Amino acid sequence: MRRLLNVALTGVLLAATACTSNTDDASEPIAVRSTDAACELDSNEAPTGTLVFEVTNGGSAVTEFYLLAADGQRIIGEVEDIGPGLTRKLVVQADPGQYITACKPGMVGDGIRAGFTVTDSG
Amino acid sequence: MLANYLIGLREGLEAALVVGILVAYLVKSGRARHLPRVWAGVGFAVAVSLTAGAALTFGPRGLSFEAQEAIGGGLSIVAVGFVTWMIFWMARTSRQLQGELQGRVDTAIAQGGWSLALVALMAVGREGLETALFLWSATEAAGSTTAPLVGAALGLGTAVALGVLIYRGAIHLDLRRFFTVTGGLLVIVAAGVLSYGIHDLQEAGILPGLNSIAFDVSASVPPGSWYATLLKGTVNFSPRTTWLEALAWLAYVIPVLALFIRTTRPRVRLEPAMKPVPAQTR
Repeated sequence: MRRLLNVALTGVLLAATACTSNTDDASEPIAVRSTDAACELDSNEAPTGTLVFEVTNGGSAVTEFYLLAADGQRIIGEVEDIGPGLTRKLVVQADPGQYITACKPGMVGDGIRAGFTVTDSG
Repeated sequence: MLANYLIGLREGLEAALVVGILVAYLVKSGRARHLPRVWAGVGFAVAVSLTAGAALTFGPRGLSFEAQEAIGGGLSIVAVGFVTWMIFWMARTSRQLQGELQGRVDTAIAQGGWSLALVALMAVGREGLETALFLWSATEAAGSTTAPLVGAALGLGTAVALGVLIYRGAIHLDLRRFFTVTGGLLVIVAAGVLSYGIHDLQEAGILPGLNSIAFDVSASVPPGSWYATLLKGTVNFSPRTTWLEALAWLAYVIPVLALFIRTTRPRVRLEPAMKPVPAQTR
């Protein structure tokens, strides 16, 4: 039991050091509007560093938002459980390159996808 | 509102189930005086989750995706350990309760006392941060519409009410059936939590195989439906399950259920009927 407790405490401590800053080097948040049939982003490119997506669900089904690698498979970041009317943040670090964004209204299928570029800000 | 209601229900259901069984067990075995420890665990988990969620939502720092998945996945796997311990602790003390000296039960409870608080803490805390982030974003939206917050709160409230019903139902079972039913249920719940944790770690890229799908029934069990919500909320059934999740589920359920059945199988049944020759054999 004590060993389990130690594992749990270590986990909490690790978690406490795993925060990223919202402000230091973060660019402006990119607004995403997800509806039952569309996925609209303010911008389809951003400089490197901490990316913040603010995803608003304007539809009637629960939605999810993903940032995927160019292969369309590997998840760079995702935010789930965006209920109708809610706005939730996805905070993620991304290297320069090509990515794919996806909104997944109804939480099924491949989602509504589009290309996204991260440019090298030096 | 319905969609947000279902999220709230799903997030709260499993914790309500585990805590409901834990409370029923303590009351049933005449250890109601240990209940404050369970409530302390629940209260601590709720307070930490809400505080951390508020800090991440309104404060200057956000949580990176990798960290969020690692916390969700890591806590889930730790929670499996605690629930498994709870299953066998209950089975062991039940046997002592039925056959042996009361004093030994008291010792077991004294040893397991604060572990009860930890089980309650893990059951609630596992999805606590995710739920808190969801609740705070519903609170943020309350400026323009209160429907999401009302829906989410009603969903969590329903989960708590179902937990109370489970407690009421369980408390009326006789002791042996109580342990068989709740223990068996908890094995399935813990296996679901394990495969949920595996899925989180796969999403974070810590474990491989996110796109190797064992089965996908999301066409007939749409994740947004009420029945998918109940299945997900109680036994963590995922309509789209990866091979690694499915294998982890089986690798947990088969040995643990076998061991559980061996632990709780009535021994008395063998003795009087099958031993015509008396005494010496033991």
